[in-house]
Amino acid sequence: MSFDIFLQYLLNGLMLGVIYAIVAVGFTLYFGVLDVIKFSHGDILMVGAFAGLTAYIGIAGTFDSPWLQLLVLVLISLSVAAFLGAVIARYLILPLQKAPPINTLLVTLMLGLALREAVRLFYPNGSNPKPFPRLLPTDGISLGEFTLRSDSLILLLTGIICIVAVQRLITRSKIGLAIRAVAQDSETARIMGINFRQIVLITFMLGSALAALAGLMNGLYYNEVNFSMGLLLGVIGFSAAVVGGLGNFYGAIVGGFLFAALQTLGAVMLPAIFPDVPSAYKDVFAFTVVIIIMGLKPTGLISEKSSERV
Amino acid sequence: MKSIVSALVLALCSGLSFSVSAKDTVKIAYIGPLTGGVSANGIGGRNSADLAVRMRNQDPNAKYKYELVSADDECKPNVGVQVATKIASDNSIIAGVTHYCSAVAMSTVDVYHKFGLPVMVWGAVLPEITYANDYKEVHRVNGTMINQNEVAAKFLTGLGYKKWVIIHDTTDYGKGHNKYFTQYLTKNGGQILGTFGVTADQQDFTAELTKIKELKPEVVYFGGLTPIGIRIRTQMDRLGIKAVFEGTSGIKSDAYIEGLGKLSEGSLSFIEGAPWEKLPGGLEFIAKYNQQKYPDAPEAYGPFAYTAANLIMDAIEKAGPNRKKVMDVLNKTNNVETIIGKVSFDDRRQNIVPLISKYVAQDGKWVVWEDSLYAKKQRKLGQ
Amino acid sequence: MKLLITTFVLGLLYSMLLLGSENQAEVGGLVVLGFIVSLVGKKMGLMDRLAAAVRVHPQFPAYASVAGVLITMAVFHNSHFALLMLATVLIYSVVCLGLNIQFGYVGIVNFAGAAFFGIGSYTAAVLATHTEVPHLVILLLAACVSALIGSILIYPVLRTRGHYAALVTIAFGILFRNFLEVNDTLGGPQGMKIPALNLFGWNLSNGIEIAGYEISFYIPYLLIALILLILSFKITRNLERSWIGLSMDMVRTDEIAASTFGVNIANWKIVAFTLGNFIAGMAGALYGMMTAYVAPNNFTFADSLIMVSIVILGGIGNPWGIIPAAAIVVILPEKLQFIQEYRFLLYAIVVILILLFRPDGLLPRRIREYFPGKKAGGEK
Repeated sequence: MSFDIFLQYLLNGLMLGVIYAIVAVGFTLYFGVLDVIKFSHGDILMVGAFAGLTAYIGIAGTFDSPWLQLLVLVLISLSVAAFLGAVIARYLILPLQKAPPINTLLVTLMLGLALREAVRLFYPNGSNPKPFPRLLPTDGISLGEFTLRSDSLILLLTGIICIVAVQRLITRSKIGLAIRAVAQDSETARIMGINFRQIVLITFMLGSALAALAGLMNGLYYNEVNFSMGLLLGVIGFSAAVVGGLGNFYGAIVGGFLFAALQTLGAVMLPAIFPDVPSAYKDVFAFTVVIIIMGLKPTGLISEKSSERV
Repeated sequence: MKSIVSALVLALCSGLSFSVSAKDTVKIAYIGPLTGGVSANGIGGRNSADLAVRMRNQDPNAKYKYELVSADDECKPNVGVQVATKIASDNSIIAGVTHYCSAVAMSTVDVYHKFGLPVMVWGAVLPEITYANDYKEVHRVNGTMINQNEVAAKFLTGLGYKKWVIIHDTTDYGKGHNKYFTQYLTKNGGQILGTFGVTADQQDFTAELTKIKELKPEVVYFGGLTPIGIRIRTQMDRLGIKAVFEGTSGIKSDAYIEGLGKLSEGSLSFIEGAPWEKLPGGLEFIAKYNQQKYPDAPEAYGPFAYTAANLIMDAIEKAGPNRKKVMDVLNKTNNVETIIGKVSFDDRRQNIVPLISKYVAQDGKWVVWEDSLYAKKQRKLGQ
Repeated sequence: MKLLITTFVLGLLYSMLLLGSENQAEVGGLVVLGFIVSLVGKKMGLMDRLAAAVRVHPQFPAYASVAGVLITMAVFHNSHFALLMLATVLIYSVVCLGLNIQFGYVGIVNFAGAAFFGIGSYTAAVLATHTEVPHLVILLLAACVSALIGSILIYPVLRTRGHYAALVTIAFGILFRNFLEVNDTLGGPQGMKIPALNLFGWNLSNGIEIAGYEISFYIPYLLIALILLILSFKITRNLERSWIGLSMDMVRTDEIAASTFGVNIANWKIVAFTLGNFIAGMAGALYGMMTAYVAPNNFTFADSLIMVSIVILGGIGNPWGIIPAAAIVVILPEKLQFIQEYRFLLYAIVVILILLFRPDGLLPRRIREYFPGKKAGGEK
């Protein structure tokens, strides 16, 4: 493999990794504060992307500058998702706190199905893929077989900046401190005067806004959104969060990039080693490795400090 | 028990409604995917069959009043068997317009045979549906993927292209296309540099496409449906792959053009049947379809569902509401003029399609190849 | 006893009406009626009285259910679709009983239920097409293959718990389906046909005529499903009541405490996991033969979720809850066909509502009575 091709694979893998990592961070945040898995996360991502698309259609005539359009689109999409996240936390997740944790998983799964079906049915012509506007500049440089378009670069940087920003928010800010306190021991946090409910809502808003961001990035990168885009992204994000170590911020990021690397590697290596194996086996490969990792590292790559809560 | 319930409900209904129809009501069925990933096609087909029934009911010369019973097979074989059993075991249903997904159609032919329900497949393209059995009940109004790929391979090798890369989804649809296209392409002297199977719910194709870029093909052949077709075409552009994008009937949809915008320019697609845009019946179909204000487009196979429903209703008009007799009439269908061209069934009740239409996307529309600027050499493919 | 019999008759009538009704008004009315009755019943304390009556006659529900299935079968003896649905409910109940052993007793959530179900179907397909093995033996062999393939997962499942274990099974479910789709020797995405069940030289797919009555060919499948259900139900019930069940409960609730008391955690997890997959595979083989066709699309992650949701809806750990839950989950979407493309939306909403208002499922598992026959201390 020549160097330019290798660069291309690297770029593809990094881009995927950033999107996966952002989705995985959401899963890990929810698990941190409430020990719940919110499986509708991928579909919130999809709703965020569709909200952005709708916003774009609404404002495309009003503003001319693509940067302004982008700003409005991001703001609307993130706030729609954050609001939805808060509503879900308030009406579906907090009431089920006393029930077995698996119930939350099932409820949010069903919610995901409901959101997906609702978009498919009620968004105009929602069962077909929708074009997502190209708002970022598409000029780029080529180096042999390697093409780097500026939109890819912008998206990649945005994703990384975002992850760093969230990391700062969690480790350096007061809200972050409260989130970590609730994550570590919600009872004690409550005693210390932290408004548990509020922190849970804030976490869910943050996680959902992140999902929407991933949805938008997905839309801007692939220039296409569809009602079922969240399904696989949700499963992969969840897998990434778990492989990395649930509840651990860095674990989610490691998991996200690991998964992207596995998929890229699977698509490149498998057909090269076994000529008859289609590249569709790459998911088989990725999930097999995941199972093996889980066998070796039962609580994820970066494990929780106290996996036994007695 | 059932009879008591129906009697009760019947009494209730007749109490409520005063309009008494002079004609007998005859039920026909429609089965297709109404939920899930390919539901756009299923809903389009349902609307088209529904349109056929509505138009027939407005016809004062029709002997019967028709009712369309439609069911969702979710594009899943087990659900298909379930709804097929439901429809086929309901003796009030005379015939059915059935299935878009090939695996579902394969799984249900036995059910129809067992219960003696004549059906007409309107979208599934796998050859085995009609050729792997000899069930008199099963007809197919659309062509198989064999015909389509023969033309697709001949056409482009004829234009002078030599090097291909094939991407297909790993569903029966994509795999079948891969098989027949490869077969005809090698026969016509084309060279295949690589074949890539991708899953139908895949979002990211950059890994496969980077590999393809390395192979430098002249044509990328894609066997699959619109959603991933759009994704692959977009990502080809992102990676800067400049090759002709040759699709199958699966991408000949408005959604493909809408989803890609300008990028759709120059994509090729092939579909069985006459180009309905050029037939008076086809134009009438579209006009009537738009008149009914269905929220969803008929999609590529809508005209086939419409035709199938019409053929069935013609047979019922002729033979009366009796499954066996309707089946005999349908078996003998020969040279019937429809909106998709002439329909004749061979000894396996497969429509012998005399024509495969070639389309190219031009200025945001699917244009019949022969009328396009590309055929007139005013534009060049793969720019 | 009177109360029990009335409930039984009413329940039977209701389910037969639901099964037989074809048009939307009937179905809608029946669903609403069922909802109102259960609300009113709860208000009037009927549920508690019913539960008390069941305690007096512990064998009644079992006999009543079997009788109910048989009576329904007799009534619908020639309506194929109703019988197919009924048999599907029974088969799904069997699978979920298997999952219940894993999930309800030792606490392993199996999100690959459909995969093990599918392994059963595929094994049946291969064996019935290529070998002369008697078909009843195939059911058993398919179950063994499913348990065997499941043992690949034992190591990671033993090492992980909770959501981590869930990921292992999710990954396996997705992997299995992708594998089938890409692999051509097992029919690829198109799947393959399964010959009809053949019992002692008697091909079950031909209709049967007894004394002038035409009887649906689904009846034998239904009867076999019923037998499987009774068997697996017996197994789970006896397991639950034995010291094995006690150990399994302990493994689920507190592994550390269990190990200090000398309970071998790994052992019970392996037993439960393997037994669950065994049962799922057996049910899968029968289902495959009944629908006569297997394809990867039948065994997606979504199908696994349907199975898990049956277990949760019924009340985790309670085998009794599974049967009504399976009936709701299998029959409701089918009866909602009249709303066509909207039915999955409605179905999702219904499940969310049930979980919000009955978080422990329809029939929550009761706390163990340590002195059967006597009133337990915790209850009144």
